[in-house]
Amino acid sequence: MLGEFEYLMISAASRLGEDAYGSAIRHEIEEATGRRCSIGALYTTLDRLESKGFVKTWMGDPTPQRGGRPKRLVRVTAKGIHEAAAFYEAVMRVSRGVSWQANQATVCHD
Amino acid sequence: MTRISWWLVDILSRILEPDERDAVRGDFSESGESAGQALRDLLGLVIRRQAALWKDWRPWLALVGLILPLGILLSIVARVTASVSSTYIWLYVNNWDWALLRHAGFWYVLADSVTPAVVSCLTLVCWSWTTGFVLGSLTRRLIPVYGVLFCLALVFGGLVGAPQYFAYLMHSINRPLSPDESDPISALVFYRQMLPLIVQAVLVAIPSLRGMRHGADGRMFPPLLRMILWTAAVLTLAMLVTQAPGFVFFLKAYWLQRIWQGWQIRLLQFVVYWPVGYLFARMIWRRWHDRTAAI
Repeated sequence: MLGEFEYLMISAASRLGEDAYGSAIRHEIEEATGRRCSIGALYTTLDRLESKGFVKTWMGDPTPQRGGRPKRLVRVTAKGIHEAAAFYEAVMRVSRGVSWQANQATVCHD
Repeated sequence: MTRISWWLVDILSRILEPDERDAVRGDFSESGESAGQALRDLLGLVIRRQAALWKDWRPWLALVGLILPLGILLSIVARVTASVSSTYIWLYVNNWDWALLRHAGFWYVLADSVTPAVVSCLTLVCWSWTTGFVLGSLTRRLIPVYGVLFCLALVFGGLVGAPQYFAYLMHSINRPLSPDESDPISALVFYRQMLPLIVQAVLVAIPSLRGMRHGADGRMFPPLLRMILWTAAVLTLAMLVTQAPGFVFFLKAYWLQRIWQGWQIRLLQFVVYWPVGYLFARMIWRRWHDRTAAI
């Protein structure tokens, strides 16, 4: 099963569609989580996802906005979509009936 | 400070693969990150990439089988080279007179005394360069880490390993292989402590690091040429190990001393200087290549 960060990356790449590349995915994840996403975690996870066949990456054309350097474009494969859907369903199933707001009120404070 | 940080980003990013380097530098340009943040991000990525390589057994084998033993061995040889040179350096520095240059006898004595020192320095440089060449040939991606580890092995060897080794050797055979530390020259701090470290830095560390770069480039040579270069490198390192101070004594291989007298082995000694031929041939080839490319 996917890890949490792997799921975030696949979701962000799916949302971005054809515009999915390293920096854009990183921006999406930071917007969604409210936390900084390190480039080290991003690219090593991207390599791991590609080795598992969940995404495909390739180098795009250089652009002036990037100082004449290319982007690393990302596309989620069918296998990646299947894994992400399985992760999402598992989270939904295990979260059924759980109310985080109610739980916060009754949690034991040590 | 910003310029220095971006300069560090540029240097550090060269450790990455070319495609990844372009993508990461482009991400920094696009996001408008500060130099400090970019440096921290890049350092994190570089450390992760390097750590992933060390999950394999081969870097560990290179560390234990080559980097550490050869680093310490070269420190020992550097100490001997420094000791041999210190007497002549002290002699000429402390007794210099420009009037000597007008005497023919001075030049004769100079050539006679300096030649063995120059030969031992050249031999040390070739051994060091060959060590770096072998390490660089193993992998390109780990060259920065191998370089750092090798320099650390040299520092350890120079400060701890070599002095302890010679103290143990002197105790074992009751005869010093380097000049007695109670003599006037070795009593001076510069000749006893500083000169060996200078020799290590100039005649070992720098040639080794250059050798690593050439070794990495050598991976693109045709198989036959690679085999020839590797044969020369292995023979050179074998000479380094078997001619190291105390080798014959510790292995009780006294028969080696008789073999070293043979003309065949003396001829083989010239193999040690193969880096000189390699660099000369490479320089000629590059000039010829640049000339034909210009046409």
